[in-house]
Amino acid sequence: MTVVRPCFAAASLLCPDRPVADPRGQPRTRVLRSRYLIMADDAPSRPTRSFNLGRFLTPAIGVLVVAFILWRLWGVLFVERIYGPDTWVRFAVSGVILGGVYALIALGYTLVYGILFMINFAHGDVMMLGAFAGYFTLEAFSSAGLLNKSLAWSIVSVAVTFVAGILTSTVAAVILERIAYRPLRKAPRLVPLISAIGASLFLENMAQLVFGSARRRYTNPEMIQHNVGWNLTVSGEQVLITYTGVLTFVLSILLMIGLYVLVQRTKAGKAMRAVAEDKEIAALMGIDVDRVIGSTFVISGVLAGAAGVMWGLHMGIVYHYVGFIPGIKAFTAAVMGGIGNIPGAMLGGLALGLMEALGPAALGIPFQLKDVLAFSILVLVLVFRPTGLLGEVLSEKKM
Amino acid sequence: MSHVRSSLRNSLLTSGISCCAVLLGLTGLAGAMVADWFGLPTRTVGAWVLLLAIAFWGGARTVGHSKSASVVAGSLMPSATHAFVLALFVGLISSLLDSGVNMREYLTQMSPEAVGLLTFGFAPWAASLVVFVALLAAGVAGAAVVFASVRHRWRESWARGWRGVRTKVMAAPLVSRFARHKSSRRVSYAIAVAILLALPFGLGRYWNYILGTVGIYVILGLGLNILVGMTGLLNLGYAAFFAIGAYTVAILTAPQFNTCWSFWAALPVGVLLATLTGVLLSLPVLRMRGDYLAIVTLGFGEIIRILAKSDVLTDFSGGPRGVRAVAGPELFGVSFSSALHFMYLILLGIMLAIFVVSRLQGSRPGRAWMAMREDEDVAQAMGIYTLKYKVLAFAISAAFAGLGGGIFASRNMFTGPEDFTLMVSVNVLCLVIIGGMGSIPGVVVGALVLKGLPEVLRQLSDYRMLAFGALLVMMMILRPEGLWPSTRGRMAAQGSREEPGSRSASEPSPGV
Amino acid sequence: MRKRAALIVVSMAVILVLSGCAAKYECADAWGCAEFEKGQTIKVGYVGPTTGDYSAFGIDISRGAELAIKDQPEVKGFEIELLIEDTQGTPEQGAAVANKFAADPRVVAVDGHTFSGSTEVAIPIYGDAGIVMMSPSATDPDLTDLGSEVFNRVAFHDRMQGEFAAKYLYNTLGVRKIAIMHDGGAYGQGLAEMTAGFFVGLGGTAVGTEAITPGEADYSAPLAAISALGPELIYFGGYDADAAVLVTQMAGAGLEGVLFFGCDGTYGVNYLDLSGDAADGTFSTYVPIPESGAFTTFKADYEAAYGDPQGKLSPFSPHGYDSMAILIKAMDEVAVESGSSLIIPRKALADAVRATKDYQGLTGSITCSDTGECAAAAIQFMKVVGGEWVVAPGQ
Repeated sequence: MTVVRPCFAAASLLCPDRPVADPRGQPRTRVLRSRYLIMADDAPSRPTRSFNLGRFLTPAIGVLVVAFILWRLWGVLFVERIYGPDTWVRFAVSGVILGGVYALIALGYTLVYGILFMINFAHGDVMMLGAFAGYFTLEAFSSAGLLNKSLAWSIVSVAVTFVAGILTSTVAAVILERIAYRPLRKAPRLVPLISAIGASLFLENMAQLVFGSARRRYTNPEMIQHNVGWNLTVSGEQVLITYTGVLTFVLSILLMIGLYVLVQRTKAGKAMRAVAEDKEIAALMGIDVDRVIGSTFVISGVLAGAAGVMWGLHMGIVYHYVGFIPGIKAFTAAVMGGIGNIPGAMLGGLALGLMEALGPAALGIPFQLKDVLAFSILVLVLVFRPTGLLGEVLSEKKM
Repeated sequence: MSHVRSSLRNSLLTSGISCCAVLLGLTGLAGAMVADWFGLPTRTVGAWVLLLAIAFWGGARTVGHSKSASVVAGSLMPSATHAFVLALFVGLISSLLDSGVNMREYLTQMSPEAVGLLTFGFAPWAASLVVFVALLAAGVAGAAVVFASVRHRWRESWARGWRGVRTKVMAAPLVSRFARHKSSRRVSYAIAVAILLALPFGLGRYWNYILGTVGIYVILGLGLNILVGMTGLLNLGYAAFFAIGAYTVAILTAPQFNTCWSFWAALPVGVLLATLTGVLLSLPVLRMRGDYLAIVTLGFGEIIRILAKSDVLTDFSGGPRGVRAVAGPELFGVSFSSALHFMYLILLGIMLAIFVVSRLQGSRPGRAWMAMREDEDVAQAMGIYTLKYKVLAFAISAAFAGLGGGIFASRNMFTGPEDFTLMVSVNVLCLVIIGGMGSIPGVVVGALVLKGLPEVLRQLSDYRMLAFGALLVMMMILRPEGLWPSTRGRMAAQGSREEPGSRSASEPSPGV
Repeated sequence: MRKRAALIVVSMAVILVLSGCAAKYECADAWGCAEFEKGQTIKVGYVGPTTGDYSAFGIDISRGAELAIKDQPEVKGFEIELLIEDTQGTPEQGAAVANKFAADPRVVAVDGHTFSGSTEVAIPIYGDAGIVMMSPSATDPDLTDLGSEVFNRVAFHDRMQGEFAAKYLYNTLGVRKIAIMHDGGAYGQGLAEMTAGFFVGLGGTAVGTEAITPGEADYSAPLAAISALGPELIYFGGYDADAAVLVTQMAGAGLEGVLFFGCDGTYGVNYLDLSGDAADGTFSTYVPIPESGAFTTFKADYEAAYGDPQGKLSPFSPHGYDSMAILIKAMDEVAVESGSSLIIPRKALADAVRATKDYQGLTGSITCSDTGECAAAAIQFMKVVGGEWVVAPGQ
């Protein structure tokens, strides 16, 4: 790619319509100098040269990055040897569980984006509302003394908590769609994005005003207490694999499979894919587009609610801001895996989780920089695979 | 049947809004505001005004444009439902409070005083009755008023009257001659500039400071406007360039790092470094589309912020404590310390920015950007070298951000990593879009609304972010082309309003 | 387009006329004095994080300030108005708020700022404007080293905290290898590194430092990294919410039996609520409030006004109360009535605040040193035993 030629740019800045001598000395083609016409003087006369440079640059960067990573890995693993195998297993377990959490949230993002080409910024906050609903339900059960009465009661209370959270999130998602997104169906891309940002701010602050800014802790039933689980013995040390962590991972896999089956195998899913392909033609084919979009948001609400309750059960802390950062991370994960791609969301989530947990240790950088690492890897992935790791599912639509 | 369903939906909406208003403490807020404005001793009046207004509005919504007399009866059911729901809600909460439950542990706004505003201290169910009757009456009254106005076409005649007044004023000989004179635009701009230059002397320090902040955001908005409004590249990490400009000026002028350059020497370096960063950061994203670009630029913004805050780079960037004692500009030995002097510096920056942007709009890169915004593939087919122009767009907008950042750091006498969070980028993006994409006065209006309005509404400080979020959503629904759209934006919006289903309207793109 | 231009000119003219009515404040005094016409309120600011992650602190301490004003709402017949400004705990917003207050001629004093980072940047700005500060909780030691005449605080400073903590760790607890964790913020990082410095000076070793990203919910990876280094104790600089998450995840990360030592930011009921059983055996730092009739009344007033028990959101509301009460008392001393208006000379006010001697506040008997240190009592280390905070043994 060519480097910007500052003089040329500056000249065209200051003197918009006067013909400027081309520094390359090419004769200017005298074309209609209409104010509104841009003609082809601009085309590089030797396109192949710049193209070759570009083609050469990207693999070079790739090689450099891989070399850097390998060199750091060598240093950490063989030279310094700070971490024993048990610590590595801990990192891996932590990464996989974190990945499951991100995947859960990313599924909702990827669904809405895949069908509507819209970044639903408020998804994390819908998840937060579900988490709050779950909190109040568990509190109710706990103060009624039913939470730990027996195994059956514990299971019932967790199930009811999930239902409450899912219901709340679904209602919130539907209301959100009706108020903030439906009127903007035909607007250019940026308008629903701003509306989503506004909705996200509104929900966060509403939660702060109604529920207060104090953080709340989930009262888990005793069988799935926080930070209690199986102990794996690795080289003499005990590595903990928490019950809630495993539950999170299993739930994310189940939801991914369920969503995949729904979208690929059911009639409703076919309608969704049709709407994603082309809204107008789908309407012509007799599909009720409004209803399909509504049901998309319903499903994303269900996913958000499940993610919210699971977040509360596993991480334990809910407050009004809890959906913000995980929302951004989950979106990053969805993009990394290929936005619109459901297994891609799972893969992206896992990749992000592992990178956050293993990455800093493996590369010998402080954990404070894990987000820098995650975003850098995202950029690299997108440079080498512009549609994400598993690629976009839908045909490339003109934005 | 659908009539019942729609009226039910109507009443659900109004009930939801009323309950939210109570839960959020908006009734208490309205009470406090009304009490302040009118000097009332109690906050009950304002609280009830709000609730009655919501019921009134709900009742008004139930009236379609039918002229039959049964419309009043038809509004009875939804108003009754709404009144019932709210009566139940108030009754429940006050009886829970009376039985000693500490509601504030779960719902922080439900203090005894706040609920007492609505119940007048009556017993819970007596208060419910009062609420029911009052809100029902308000709902029916709302329906009746709207029905009457529809019948008597008050609204139309009022609108006609206003239009008549306006035409008469514009037709007055002096005004119309002024409006039609050839150089009237230049004269009015000159007068506006003169007023702007004289304005800071009239305002106090406080307003100069606020307007200075607005001004810096105008510079930022103009920069982002090039990227988002003219080129159509969504950038969620604009704060990164802002940070580079601010940090460069800070590091070069602060005694902390033993550099102590002068502000005027550091500012161009800051702008230059920001431009370079813009070029560098644009290289990986050149071939990315739309929303990928969004998340990657967001990532860049976060990367810069985290690096500035981190332990590792504390020696260069001051870490979380930031850089203190940033120097202010000095002119002939006189230092710019007050908000007044900075206002002039900022005004200078704004004028420079406006000059550059308006020149760009008519220039070759400007037209190339607009072609790329409409359709990148077609633009490339037309022979526009999109890669080069993308890099140029990033570079120039980063330069603006660097300028704004340098002035910002100098004015605050301090800079630090938390100044460049994601919210700053989101704020600048919102002000560009709310003001009107692609239009220069739109950016100014957007900055005034988004940065100046919260300062005016201090009493709402708790509800500021809530109102901000609601404002964003409402603006996008009611006026997506922005408050002061560019000519093309306005035309596109009018087009999409007149033909809601047409193909051409489905891709309106604001521009010059 | 022409019509629009005409509209611009008219509106500009209107704005100019209106702004001309805005008063331009001038004063002939050295630091200037604040003049209040009859009916105007005296403005005092409270600055702290009232929104964002740390809003519990800001809201709690602002309530203390509000209660102080409720107990003494007037100075010589002029009402005091409290302006609560939000900084989210960050230095940047602290600078913005300071500039805002500095530009308002009716602000005479500030109860704040709350967090050290935001206080540091505000001091020169308030110094220029002649606004006196009394901070309830900014503990960074450098703040009083700046030599400012306007800054005072009722909180103790971190150098003392770090030194005492290091001595306690080394001598009383007998640990020799500690790991440092902090939240990357100005306060947490500064304090943690200071303690580590003192500890190493006494002969111990700091085996590693990890910074966490505050607000996240899963710290198992950095904790695992720390556990690989084999420390005996983790010293944490930061706030209670993050500390609570750390202690609950410590055991699972292989740090069973490793002690956890927090700072004054981690003390409080909130920490106990959020960490549950896992907090047993952990330490923190605090200055206990002596029992007194005034404190009992304060607790009752707090709960009646706000519904939360005092101490639930944060333990610093008595400090907010004391700061504001001292400022009001000083204002009362130096305010001068001239005709129907009130004059408060700024430098006299600052000197009066600094001259506070043997003031009986909620936190104890307060005397300000000539650098602005007004802390009432010495710090103490606290330990969680059976779900309650008790004074740690061996002090």
